[in-house]
Amino acid sequence: MAANLPFLLQGLWVTVQLAVLSLLLALTLGIFFGVLRTVPLKPLRAVGTAYVEFFRNTPLLIQMYFTFFALPWLGVRLPGFQAAFLSLGIYTGAFVAEVVRSGILSISRGQVEAARSLGLSYVQTMRHVILPQAVSITVPPLGNLVIAMTKNTSVASAIAVQDVMYNGNILNSRTFATYEVFAAVGAGYLALTVPLSFAVNRIERHLTRFRR
Amino acid sequence: MRFDIIFDSRRWAAFSELSVWRFLLTGMQVTFTMAAIAIVCSLVFGLLLALMRVSRFPFLRWPAGLVIETIRSLPVLLLIFFSSLLIPRLGIGLDPFGAATLALTVYTAAVNAEIMRAGIVSIDRGQIEAARSLGLGYVQTMRYVVLPQALRRVIPPQVSQLVTLIKDTSLAAVIGVNELTRRTQILYQSEQPPNPLQALFVAACVYFAVNYTLSRLSRRWELSVGGAPLRVDAH
Repeated sequence: MAANLPFLLQGLWVTVQLAVLSLLLALTLGIFFGVLRTVPLKPLRAVGTAYVEFFRNTPLLIQMYFTFFALPWLGVRLPGFQAAFLSLGIYTGAFVAEVVRSGILSISRGQVEAARSLGLSYVQTMRHVILPQAVSITVPPLGNLVIAMTKNTSVASAIAVQDVMYNGNILNSRTFATYEVFAAVGAGYLALTVPLSFAVNRIERHLTRFRR
Repeated sequence: MRFDIIFDSRRWAAFSELSVWRFLLTGMQVTFTMAAIAIVCSLVFGLLLALMRVSRFPFLRWPAGLVIETIRSLPVLLLIFFSSLLIPRLGIGLDPFGAATLALTVYTAAVNAEIMRAGIVSIDRGQIEAARSLGLGYVQTMRYVVLPQALRRVIPPQVSQLVTLIKDTSLAAVIGVNELTRRTQILYQSEQPPNPLQALFVAACVYFAVNYTLSRLSRRWELSVGGAPLRVDAH
């Protein structure tokens, strides 16, 4: 087993890369569509809603298969890693958009007006009134999305991305040491998700320290 | 980009046949059966785990916490693979369907436990103190005061979890369960000319129809119950 550890770690590195890159795409898409869902123009809002609802309510596996097996028919041929990155980013982006939207909507206009009439400038209002609240509302759920997404990278193994899940399966069929292999793969995921959820809890406690 | 493929009528032809729809909807039935078994069993186990976790006895609290946190931190796909490889070794005759359902149940139970714990701790402490000072025991307080309110509050997050579960059942396709996703693959691999684009889109729409309806129902329930929505870590 020890001799095969580098093989699994190599897979874990692919998992980490996939998670980090997809997160960047998800944040970009999520912020864009989240803001789009709050603009005062109905057709634009509808576009945002369509994106969020469609991608949130269909399985990630179907979306990955679509990117990997269906897009080549349109002339878009993506290697497994890129297809997985694109799907995972788009899928998670829909969830991020929901978080961003509720963050924006949670701050009442009255607060902005109150801050401005107290003599705070626009930048000061943002800095001291809006952003601290928006961040404390959106960061904990975003943290949970990061954890969920890290776990979801495993779906990429279904389109032959050589992540830790895929390498684990290869190793299992080669050695039949199911317990050891899965304990190692599981430990790999825990090594990523447990520190993340610990961090999310710490941040949440820090952000809500003045409430109640 | 070859957009003509999208509208190629030969590639859509399969979806005008009743037999194709019967084939896909039988898959949907398998999907629903898996989800139904998993959600019902996980409600029971989830409630048990949640009650253990809020218990005042450390020997109940700690193991429950460990199990919940560990399982919740692992990918569902890992649990599905593990159960499909492990179960046959233990000599228990479970086919891929059983193995996938077991894995989905275990995972959903851990998530549900967390949802129910959030529901239980959201009940005002004063109510528990009032119930206790009226002479109700711990079990009676739980049974008549806390749980009836807590279980009502957890319905919306519970339905969201059902949506997640229905999406997760598609992962059973990877170990060979003939549910909707796998049947879609079988369909587009056997069609001539191949139509993965059309078939996967149709399958996505079927999942969407079910999940979107559930999401809307959950939202409506949340609004009708009123009050601040229960926040549960979604992962």
